[in-house]
Parts: sequence; structure tokens; C-alpha cells
Amino acid sequence: MKIQISNGMFMAIIINLIYAKAIGLTQGSIAREVGRDMWISTFISILQGLFIMYITVKALQRTPEHNMVQQSKILLGKWTGKFVAIVFFVFLIGAYGAVLTTFVYHLNDYFLPEAPIFVFVLIALIVGVYATYFGIEVIGRMALIGVLSLFLLNILILMGSLSYFDIRELMPVLDSGIVRTTWASRFHNTDWAIATVISAILLPYVKSKDVWGNSGLLGLVFAGFMVILWPVLETGSLSASVTGDYLISCMQMARSAQIGYFLHRYEMIMIAFFAISTFTQIMLLFLCAAVCMKDVFNLRDFRPAVIPSSVILSLIGLWIVTNHSRAMLFVENYWVILAHAIAFPLPILLWILGYFFKKKLEKGSKAKTA
Amino acid sequence: MRKKLRFMLMIVMVLTLSGCLGKREINDLAMVMAVGIDKGEKEQVKITTQIVRPADSRGATGAPSGQTGDPIWSASAEGETLFDAIRNLSTFSSRRVFWAHNYAIVINEDYAREGIGDVVDFFTRNPELRMRTWVMVTPDEASKLVSTLTGLEVIPGEAINKLFRYNRVSVQAPRTQMIDVQSALSIENVEPVIARVSLTNKGVSNKKPGESGAFDQIELKGAGVFRGEKLVGILDGEEVKGMLPFVEKLETGLVVLECPTDETKKLSIELEDHNFQVSPKMEEGKPKFKVDYAVKGSIVEGDCPLTIKDRPKIENLEKQMEQQLKAQIESVVNKAQSEYRADFLEFGNTFHNRYPAEWKKIKNDWESVFPDVKVETSTEAEITDSTLLINPTRQ
Repeated sequence: MKIQISNGMFMAIIINLIYAKAIGLTQGSIAREVGRDMWISTFISILQGLFIMYITVKALQRTPEHNMVQQSKILLGKWTGKFVAIVFFVFLIGAYGAVLTTFVYHLNDYFLPEAPIFVFVLIALIVGVYATYFGIEVIGRMALIGVLSLFLLNILILMGSLSYFDIRELMPVLDSGIVRTTWASRFHNTDWAIATVISAILLPYVKSKDVWGNSGLLGLVFAGFMVILWPVLETGSLSASVTGDYLISCMQMARSAQIGYFLHRYEMIMIAFFAISTFTQIMLLFLCAAVCMKDVFNLRDFRPAVIPSSVILSLIGLWIVTNHSRAMLFVENYWVILAHAIAFPLPILLWILGYFFKKKLEKGSKAKTA
Repeated sequence: MRKKLRFMLMIVMVLTLSGCLGKREINDLAMVMAVGIDKGEKEQVKITTQIVRPADSRGATGAPSGQTGDPIWSASAEGETLFDAIRNLSTFSSRRVFWAHNYAIVINEDYAREGIGDVVDFFTRNPELRMRTWVMVTPDEASKLVSTLTGLEVIPGEAINKLFRYNRVSVQAPRTQMIDVQSALSIENVEPVIARVSLTNKGVSNKKPGESGAFDQIELKGAGVFRGEKLVGILDGEEVKGMLPFVEKLETGLVVLECPTDETKKLSIELEDHNFQVSPKMEEGKPKFKVDYAVKGSIVEGDCPLTIKDRPKIENLEKQMEQQLKAQIESVVNKAQSEYRADFLEFGNTFHNRYPAEWKKIKNDWESVFPDVKVETSTEAEITDSTLLINPTRQ
């Protein structure tokens, strides 16, 4: 019997996939463009994400035993399926670059500046590969712990920053105009794009297909709530201009937080919670990369593909993160283009094709899953 | 075979995940408690660090409990830049300078007049420093200030920290932290205002009680006004009291008034319940501001027979209070507009929040618009109680 995870784990996976980069790196990018409207930009982005998640779920509900790669294989043939798998793999390379930038710079810049960067990449690789071998169920459980840790992280940052919060810093609302604010939402779009693409690969492993829509959308909504706290706090406590000055804005807020007179510089506790979620992200990316590679090479199981796919992701990620300037150029420019080019059109295209080729899909979905 | 592979994997994980990279033992660290920045010789930067000596700082009374000497070790070095000067400290410091416990950054006014951009840049880039570090300017040599043993606290840096932590009571200087300075420098059309301290002979030695001012104390002494990153002027006394409601949320305050029946006698009124608002308006296409300041007070000391039951006299005092508070605000607004031409009272920011479209038209010219902006002040004071006494101590 195929391994299946609960819808709760699926929601937890979505939250973990979005959160880590969204609260710091993304907010810095948005703040540099629209200043104090960054929280509105984040909100607008979440609305876009809800739409794409809905389309993704609806497309996959037509063939609940197949992921998007397999569905495209049914619709357009074997080679199209492989092409989609390669496209997803390329997406995951880009996603891993962004995730690794978040992971490495959080730890390297603020905690271990003397540690060589390759150590962080190696740690991510070893821990990620090790966990990926155990499969989606273990990662799903890890994601649940990740959500709890993120919840605690949010409480800690609230406790340490709320006393410095000034609501006047959030005014005036939409100072940058609706067009600029919406355009700036592209940075956060890349965060939920990871969640929707991974959903496109992993949804067949989730129980109760009738509830996929609710859990997918609710996962995004909860993730949105948990993320949006950060731009609001960053604007109110730090100010938007200071947020925009930093590469990792969330860490700047974390190290400015203090609870009372005796508990300050407790960002070490916060980073521990953060790291659980980031590792979950890494594991999920490795898992999906292995699944894509399995589909490309028609392997029976994803496990033989874990090490080669993870090493490819890690090597490219290492190249990206060894230079801050290159990493920021990638995250703010190339990754934005790549994410939008894949996360938006592919689910919409497959949904449209599925609408016109319903019978083909019904016939194909009865076939044994790869 | 699988067991061997797992074992090898675990060995690799233990080696790479043990977190020893970049470790520094605590006794390898020179923990900076306060840092002073002065102009050095030949256009260089002089940095003076107050470093704690843990072996000699454990005494509860401030007396060293270790083998020798003082609870702090002060060291100075010069360099072309701040970073260069700090690196030059390591040429004679046996430990590595560690910034994470730094309480205060003291900048000499002569240095500040040339710009503090490098100071803010260095300390905000550095991941060790806390963003809640107090920042202040001083007319004295910063090196002298950070080397001064102040008496009440074992570590002088801690004395500065507590001076600011509890300065809501004194209302003599703003509570400026590094994050506030960074924020003010980043935001357009907002000028920073930084606390000011100086060394004053106020300490009375318990060994020579007859000699007042036997040793120096660090005293809060107003605020330094900046235009951009350069110090352009000083606010002291009543001007600071007028400035503080604009930049901070006040919890207390003090007004000294003349007794209604005898002008030579004084009354102290403690201020509570501050309600301060700046409302921008547009009049004939020009910005205008209304400052409303409502406060409640209680009589905490009276050198004349007065009871709050005596409404005419209380009303007279309330009028005096209103006039005094109004004068404080008008004096600092006048200084901001006419003398320094620096919007450290955040009028521009307030206008921007309320009239964003109009702000876009004037923001580039705000420096020339601000001095001519009309500011109306209205104050309202109410004396609501006389602490414990309902009747005065003498009739």
C-alpha cells in the first residue's frame, strides 16, 4: 500500500515551505521597493498563491493517484512527462538556491561568521539526505514539529518586539501605490510557488483527496498569517527603511528584541526553532528532486535518486551562496523569473488541458501509477 | 555492510555537526562595556574601550574583590577608520574584543560635528553589537568618560546603562539607542537627536565627606541635534523638556511653579497622564501643525500653605503650568525651525502620514519649507491631587 500522509501534515508542509525565506530575505527585498507597504505586498501575494494552489489542487483531483508529472504524461505523452519532470527539477534547483541562501546566511552572518560556507551546505546535505531516505511520512511529522516551532518563534519575537512597536510607522497605507505594491509581491510569490510546486508533486501521497482543496488553501492561509506578522513587526519596530537596509531583516529584528531587562540577545533560541523548519524545507526539496529524477529516468523508487539529485542541488546552491552579491542577484532577479515562469503557467496549463481532455485523463488515471 | 555505512555516516555527522567552528572561550574575550569615540591625531579616529575585568568586578560594594586594581581596563587605539582602530587594539590587548555586552557608545561632539555615519555604519553592520546599545554625545573627551569609575555601579558601563534605563524619571535627555539613530538616518526628512552626557564633579567620597565633588559622575545633559549625520547644535534644560514629548512617550515629568501667595516660594508638580498630539493641516496649500499637550499633575512638594480644595489658587497654578509647558514647546520648535533648520521633531513624518499625496509634492523641498511652517501650540494642565496630604503642612 502506498505511503500516505494526513491533510494536517500536508498543511504543515505548506507552512514550513513558505515561512523561512518569507520572513526575512523576502521582506528585505520588498522593503527596498515599497517601504512601509511591505505587509500589504505580502498580503497581495498570498491572494495570488491561494489562486494557484486552488488550480493545482483542482487539476490533481482529476487524477488523484498521479502527480503533475504523471498527469502531463497521460495528457501529452511520455516525453512531455519527462519534460515537465525536468522543468520541475530546474525549479527545485532554483528553490534550493533560495532556501540555502536563507539557511546559510542566517547562520553564517549572525552566528558563525568564521565557519566556512561549505560546512553549512554539507550539513544541509547530510541531514537532508538522511531524512529523505525515510520518506514523506517522517518528513511530514517533522513538518508538524516545524509548525509548532514556528509558532513558538512567533510568540518569542512578539514578546521581544511589541514594546517597541509604533503603528504610525505603518502609515500612510499604500504610500507606494497599488501597482508598485502589487509588483513588489513577486518576491513573496516565489515563496508560495515552492509550496504549490511541491504540492503538485506530493499531493498523491496525501489522504482524502476531497479535502485537498481545503487543506491546501488553509495551509496557505495559516502560513500567510504566520508570515505577515513579520513585515508588520519589522515596519513598526525597526522601520521600513532599516528593514530594507539588511539582507536578512528578520535577524536584525531578532537581535534587537529583548524581553524585559534580563532576556536579550535570545535569537539563539529563535534560530533553533527556525532551523527545524528550514531543515524540513531542505528535506522536502531533496525528496521532490529525487521524485522528479525518478520520473525522468523511469526508476521504480525515488531512493536511488536521492543522493545524485541532492548533490546536484547542493553544488549549485554552494556556488550561489559563496558570494553574497551573486546570491542576492539570484534571489531577487533570476529566481523570481524562474519561479513565476513555472509556478504560474504550468498548473493553469494542466488544468486547462485536463478540462479539454477529461476522458483521456479518466482512462489514464485507471492505469497503474509509476 | 549497511551497519558499517550507517556508522560511518554517524561519524561524519558528529564531526560536522558538533558546532566547534569559530568557538571562543569566555576567558579569551575582552568584553566591552562602553566605547568612546574621539578625533585622534592627524585626522584619525581614536577609540577607547572600557573592558570588564571579571576577577576584580565581583565586589558588591564596588571595591575590587580580586587581587589588584579596578573592575575595568580601559584601552585606546587610533586608526584611519573605526575598524582599523579596533584592530589596532589587538596589538596590545591579550584578549579579543567582544562587542555583545557593550552598553554604550559615547561620541565626542567634535567628532560628531564631522559626521557619525561611519559609527552608525560600523556598529549596525557588526553582528555582535546589540541594537539596543545606548548612543550619546559628549562635550568631554569620550576616552575620559568611558574610563571614569562612577561609584554606584561596579562597572561604569552598567552605570550608563542604568542611567538611561531609568532616565524616564529625570527627563533630561532622550533615550537614544543605536536602532533609533539608524532609523532616523535612514528615513528621509527625519533628523536624529541623540542624548548628551558630560562628566561633572558631583560624587561625594565617603572617605572625604566634607569635600563635595571629589570625583566625577556621568550626568545626563540634554541632547545633540543632528542634520543628516552631523551634529549642528545642542538642546538643554527647558528645550529638552519641550522636545521629549515629540520623540518619546513620557511617563513622568516635573514642573516647578511659584506659589500663588508668595513668588519667592516654590511648588513642585509631578506630571502624569501625558496626552500629546501633533495634528497636521493644509491651509491655503501650505502645511500647518497644531500641537496639543494635555497633562495631569499632582503636588509633590509645596513650600507654601496650599490645598487642592482652594480652587482659585489651583487654577492659577494650572495656568502657570500651561504657560510653562507651552513656552518649552515653543522654544524647541523655534530652535528646530530657526536656528538649526532640522526637523528632529518629526513634523515631516507626521505630515506624510496624514497627507501622503501632498507630501510627495513638498518632500524634496522640506528643508526649505519646514522653517516657515506655522506651528500652533495649545496646552491644558490639570492638578488632580496633592499626593498624600489634603491639607498643607502649615497654615
